[in-house]
Amino acid sequence: MRFAYYPGCSARSTCAELNEATHRVAAALGLELTQLDSGTCTGARELRAIDPLGFYTLNVRILALAERENLPLMTICNTCTLNVLDAHAAFVADPDLAAQVNARLADEELRYSGRTRISHFLWVLYEDIGEARLRALVRRPLTGLSVAAFYGCHITRPPQRYGFVDSRNNVALERLAEILGCRPIDYSGRTECCGFHTAAHDERVAIKLSGQHIASAKNNGAAAMVTPCPLCHTVLDSFQREIEQDMGQKLDMPVLHLPQLVGLALGLSPEQLRIDRHMIPFDLGTLAGA
Amino acid sequence: MSEPIAAGEARRLGQEERGDTLGARNTRFDPGDTVLVRVRRSEPAARSEFRVPYRKWMRVLDALNWIAENEAPDLGYRWFCGSKMCGTCAVRMNGREVLACWEAVEAEMTIEPLRNLPVVRDLVVDRGPFEDKVFSLEPWLERPALYPGFPEPLSHKDMKYASKALDCIGCMCCYSACPVIALGDLTDFAGPAPLVQLGQTALDPRNDPAKVARSLKRTGIFHCVSCYRCEEVCPAAIPIVTQVIEPLKAKTAALVPEMAKHSLALRAVVAARGRVDPTALVLRVRGLAVLRDWLRALRLLLRGKIDPLKTLFPRRTSAAAAAQRLLEGGRRR
Repeated sequence: MRFAYYPGCSARSTCAELNEATHRVAAALGLELTQLDSGTCTGARELRAIDPLGFYTLNVRILALAERENLPLMTICNTCTLNVLDAHAAFVADPDLAAQVNARLADEELRYSGRTRISHFLWVLYEDIGEARLRALVRRPLTGLSVAAFYGCHITRPPQRYGFVDSRNNVALERLAEILGCRPIDYSGRTECCGFHTAAHDERVAIKLSGQHIASAKNNGAAAMVTPCPLCHTVLDSFQREIEQDMGQKLDMPVLHLPQLVGLALGLSPEQLRIDRHMIPFDLGTLAGA
Repeated sequence: MSEPIAAGEARRLGQEERGDTLGARNTRFDPGDTVLVRVRRSEPAARSEFRVPYRKWMRVLDALNWIAENEAPDLGYRWFCGSKMCGTCAVRMNGREVLACWEAVEAEMTIEPLRNLPVVRDLVVDRGPFEDKVFSLEPWLERPALYPGFPEPLSHKDMKYASKALDCIGCMCCYSACPVIALGDLTDFAGPAPLVQLGQTALDPRNDPAKVARSLKRTGIFHCVSCYRCEEVCPAAIPIVTQVIEPLKAKTAALVPEMAKHSLALRAVVAARGRVDPTALVLRVRGLAVLRDWLRALRLLLRGKIDPLKTLFPRRTSAAAAAQRLLEGGRRR
């Protein structure tokens, strides 16, 4: 099973451990990844607002790079996923835009025809590996690990893209956690916002919002959180000491990237998955009571 | 389910089994069923739990009407048209903003007033703070030139975004759902509903740019976290983030660039490097003030989360070359 793999900016900088873990886990799952090294940023939230044509061009270029390889595209970041999905939808719906974008891409002999299948790693697990096979691949069930799934926004909203009347009805992460042997817990922050997208100019919103979510996870018995988005991870983990300072309480909540949780259950070591790069330490032995 | 599921289906996991579809919501009752309704009342002693006999196609509003007519004539709630037009009956049902007149009942419902607005009584909120905010944004047209005569040269493309905003019924569902508004005075963010009201005229090309700039300066629009909670609850299905707030952000970047520092910096960083270097971005946005946070920078450095060498000496990558060509070239064209 081969994928064109687009890691995004975060997994190549502040969350480089996510990129390493994804490569390790993909190998263990039998996924062959062709990394799109010349892929640019998808424009986060900023470019899409202030320069729509630039936004569409960069995203369609990523889709065209995958199409040229004749491979589906695998992403590991919520915001990148939504950006390429939105760009693909706009490209297909608006022939004028499609022509404009393809004209820009012609310089490097790229052309998109609208065929690339887009899939986040979470969806790849369900659609390409399958629950039965994943279950069979589990070498170290994470029995005893109470985990709080933190979806983030862009993998479950907007409703026009994903179809949820109420995004809280999403179950993909909890069901996956169960397959891996964990005990998923319910709490108020599951599908709420971490606040990342305004943090570069003002961290206060991210600190307040994520503080509520981590505290809710902790109060409901989570030993760790897991997220499919490195941007959420950045706030939940890298900002956690500032969050603790703001709340005036210790949280010490380890936060795992989704591929790391999968990798642990597949028998990979925390070191192989680079969990040591996180700000909040994670000790599988203690937390899972193993 | 043991086989892999079909491509494109994993992103919808939970919709079927949790009855997330509108169809499922309307067919989960049988005649003779009872709806358990808990209402958040202002008076702690007031009765708050009711068992309402289910009627076919029963809406939240029907349940509230039954309660008021049969068991709690003092129940405070507000409605007028009953047909998704007037926007007065919005409440929170099981933690989600809905129009009482357009939402199917659930077997057990907790009904609360909207958040982020003062409660007058029971389910009735004071719309005053919202109306003051809208008024302060001057949501009207001011023409910089004389009226050109009839018919005005205005196309559907010119009005693409304003027309979306004009679908707003002012129900305040989005204002209640917004997590940034829930943080109170922490920011000066105007919130989704006032921005939609502003968008009706600020996104109209006939409006005076100087006047629009004046309005935009009071919006705190770049505090929007793009969480889409507003879009999720909008009963008028307005794509609030993508077709109102983002076009307003684009206008702000053009008319009041000092407000759009973060967006413009991200564009510049991506155009120069192909990808976001978070340190370079934050330095551009906040300047040397970030150095005050040296202890935190040290912590990040020790974990390998930041790499000053990479920030100071970016490599010439193929991604950088592509972004430079496509973004800079796009600007020239």
